[in-house]
Amino acid sequence: MSVPAANVLILPAQEVRVAGAASRRLRWLRSVEIWVPAAFLLAMLFFCFIWPLVYTVPSPVHGSLIDNNLPLWSKGHILGTDTVGDDVMARILYGGQVSFEVAAAVQAIGLVIGGALGLVAAYVGGWLDAVLMRILDVFIAFPSLVLVLAIADGLGPTEMHVIWALSAFSIPAFARVARAAALQLRDRPFVVAARLSGTKTWRILLQHLAPNMLPQLLTFTLLGAGLTMILEGGLDFLGYGIPPPTASWGNMIAAGQSFISVSPRFVFVPSIFLFVTTLALNLLGDGLRARWDAR
Amino acid sequence: MAGSPSGPGVSRGRTVAAAGLLGVDTTDAPLLEVSDLRVTFDSPLGRVHAVQGVSYAVEPGQTLAIIGESGSGKTVSAHAVMGLLPASAKVSGSIRFKGEQIVGLSEHQMRDYRGRCVAMVFQNVERSLNPTMRVGTQIAEAVRCHLAVDKNQAHERAVELMRMVRLPAPERRYFEYPHQLSGGMRQRVVIAIALACSPQVLIADEATTALDVTTQAQIMDLLLDLQQETGVALLMISHDLGLAATYAEDVMVMYAGQVVERAAATDLFASVRMPYTRALLDAIPRIELEPHVLLPVIGGRPPDLTTIPAGCPFAPRCHRVQQDCLAEAPPLRQHEPGRWWACWHPHQEEDAT
Amino acid sequence: MSASAIAEPGRRAGGAAETLRRLARSPALRVIGRRLLSAIPVLWGVTFLSYFILNALPGDAASALLGINATPAEVRAFSIKLGLNEPVWVRYGHWLGSALTGNLGTSAASPQSVASILGQRLPVTLELVVYALIIAFVVAVPLGVLCARWPSGVVDKLTAALSIASLSIAPYVLALVLVILFAVDLSVFPAIGFTPLTQSLAGNLRSTTLPSIVLALPLIGFYARFLRGDLVQQMQSEDYIVTARAKGVSEWRVLTRHALRNSFIGILTVIGLNLATLVGVTVIIESIFSLPGIGYELLNAISNRNIPVVEGIVLVFGVIVVLANLATDLLYGVLDPRIRRVRSRS
Repeated sequence: MSVPAANVLILPAQEVRVAGAASRRLRWLRSVEIWVPAAFLLAMLFFCFIWPLVYTVPSPVHGSLIDNNLPLWSKGHILGTDTVGDDVMARILYGGQVSFEVAAAVQAIGLVIGGALGLVAAYVGGWLDAVLMRILDVFIAFPSLVLVLAIADGLGPTEMHVIWALSAFSIPAFARVARAAALQLRDRPFVVAARLSGTKTWRILLQHLAPNMLPQLLTFTLLGAGLTMILEGGLDFLGYGIPPPTASWGNMIAAGQSFISVSPRFVFVPSIFLFVTTLALNLLGDGLRARWDAR
Repeated sequence: MAGSPSGPGVSRGRTVAAAGLLGVDTTDAPLLEVSDLRVTFDSPLGRVHAVQGVSYAVEPGQTLAIIGESGSGKTVSAHAVMGLLPASAKVSGSIRFKGEQIVGLSEHQMRDYRGRCVAMVFQNVERSLNPTMRVGTQIAEAVRCHLAVDKNQAHERAVELMRMVRLPAPERRYFEYPHQLSGGMRQRVVIAIALACSPQVLIADEATTALDVTTQAQIMDLLLDLQQETGVALLMISHDLGLAATYAEDVMVMYAGQVVERAAATDLFASVRMPYTRALLDAIPRIELEPHVLLPVIGGRPPDLTTIPAGCPFAPRCHRVQQDCLAEAPPLRQHEPGRWWACWHPHQEEDAT
Repeated sequence: MSASAIAEPGRRAGGAAETLRRLARSPALRVIGRRLLSAIPVLWGVTFLSYFILNALPGDAASALLGINATPAEVRAFSIKLGLNEPVWVRYGHWLGSALTGNLGTSAASPQSVASILGQRLPVTLELVVYALIIAFVVAVPLGVLCARWPSGVVDKLTAALSIASLSIAPYVLALVLVILFAVDLSVFPAIGFTPLTQSLAGNLRSTTLPSIVLALPLIGFYARFLRGDLVQQMQSEDYIVTARAKGVSEWRVLTRHALRNSFIGILTVIGLNLATLVGVTVIIESIFSLPGIGYELLNAISNRNIPVVEGIVLVFGVIVVLANLATDLLYGVLDPRIRRVRSRS
């Protein structure tokens, strides 16, 4: 928290130092908000991607029908099995791979393409900026879900196509954020100085603007990753995403929907994983943003 | 929010009973008496000692100017008198209105006192009025805060107040929004708000700083006229020594949260003692100076208020500094009748230019 | 915008009566005029984009609608009937031409006109969106004010936690949870289906309450947090708040009468910005709750490559967003008197 009466107090900035045990405890508390979700996400990544390689996890498909519908905490099937006898834990782990891959790829595409568009538009300005802003207006007035559904439906349900479809969301979003961030930086003294000293435009963009925008954009990436996971599940849920028998959290929820009154765990187990993972991404993004804003 | 008193040195007087605030003067105490007022803030950068032991008193009809740069504690001390400091501020010392202790009052009691006993005119003309409310409504709200009047009476009183602060066409202006008024008119509205419940002390915090010179003079004249009419005590907070010289009877100069010099305005400008005041005076542009002559400025910057230096706080910037200044801070003492200063090596009469 | 464009409404009104001309000069009408003009390229872009994307995708309406058992000859005949044999530019041109005259064409799947489909479906979606916005407002505003009254208090911390949770939960998961709780276990609301307003008001509200709550919950978290932040910022640093306090006004009154008014301006912007997302989410919600809104229709139309219907819906989505932003702009004027002058000056 800032000092509310700061406008009447002069505190030389160069003499900033940490003071008092109280504020140190506050910093520690604040970092809990960052470390807990970060640790959870790292654990999730480990279990989804590395654990199946080093430990014999049951196959997520081709389970034995004899073992179908086992309850939670069964021997050898810690989260039970589903209606066709596949191990739920294994499907969660492999489904998690899909969720993380899609989220990472969609954010990376958004960051690179959208970020570059926003950066260039803001810096160059003029007609280029005007055209980009109009196009972004189109995307705002256009429910992106329509675009996503159309792309996913037309290209066919594979992970790669889901990624491209969801990038229709992330590219305009990143372009907006990057443009706003670049506009703030564009007239800062160090950029003006670089421009006046004849630095080439691409050099200013890459060396002066991009690195300063990166923390903000990376934070946005985390928040966007959470949203992407929800949307990816939504596509699966509506039947436009990754089709069964390949495991994904969304199609597990959709498949469990039919049995919701008899065995709600088919819906709840993947839902909880989806919720907690998204929550961790949002908490981490929020925590980092708060820290970034405080500077 | 009212600052809560804490730490040593809190002198808790008799709390203000509701009857006392109704203006029943039960004592011979000064109208407003501030003694050894200290305000600290806990910030992430450490404890900020914004006000370090300020004392003064004002009587009805008196005009006292408090002069200092930004960060000298003049606004913080005024906000303390209004009970407007944030909850994070720690206030100690005493502020007495007609002998009754204000420090430590509950928020509820404070609300009753604010606006009715002591009112304030603010610095930022652009922002001190709510942009989304009609100016008349904002004045009427102040009226209805303390007086048991209905909507129509409040409206009438607001129009009357607008006339009192010489706003042209008050009936029409009542329904206008702040952005439709000029800076000077807006400041008149703020003054009308402050005077709504006939307070006995009016604090003008840089009330004219944001205005152009002509308007500045008009507003100051208005304040003095209103003082004549109502007998209100005026506490004028400014960084502008010239303004203080023209309008105030007494002048108090603050530096780094402390009072460094205090005197009647005429005495002070006749012979300045404290080198800081001298430096402030020298920094005022004068018409009789040759063109293109550099104005003397005070080198360095105001001290970091998170640490209290051993010596005089002005010593690092003072051109008369000597060894003893760095060793021990000079206390504020009355050296001549009605003349107070805190300096080991003050200017003498013959130094005056 | 050019001056002639701004004066347009007045000139169109004809008569050249002095009152009308004065009306044309009124800032509100100028805002409307400018907004509507700038909406044209946006709406055109929306229809253009969706037409060509849908067209570029594999599959077409003829084969999608006739199914896999149709002979190639049947498909060809149907394609010609639908006009699919012409190049896409020509077809888009035809569509645009008739759309400009107000004719949105006929559905590829049935003889029903697109306009009548929209007329049937749109009210359901609008009801959902408006209902959700009302729920969100009714809950979020008091919550945000309570949080701002005692920052870092119990209510504030709880709200912060709940709001980040509400933003992390997938709408379809939330829908399923609510269905289990309220429809299966408690039988308070129907799990799926829609009762038209014309049939029964209570039945209608019962059938739209759960879906609206699902839509509203993330909004509640979002608006409450936004409001809290804006209010706290004002209470800490705005001078007019200090002026109000100095009058002796109570903290509650300062918060609700002085700060809240100004915060509504920001809230409106936020609503305008996320309305498109909200309308998009109705697609999922309508499909889960089997509500006959345009989202549900859109899903069918996309998988059937029923381009006229998709175009109609996309256009309606676009118009909704444009109109909502226009309404936002006009409300700005009501809430923030400064805008009137700024707008009329520029």
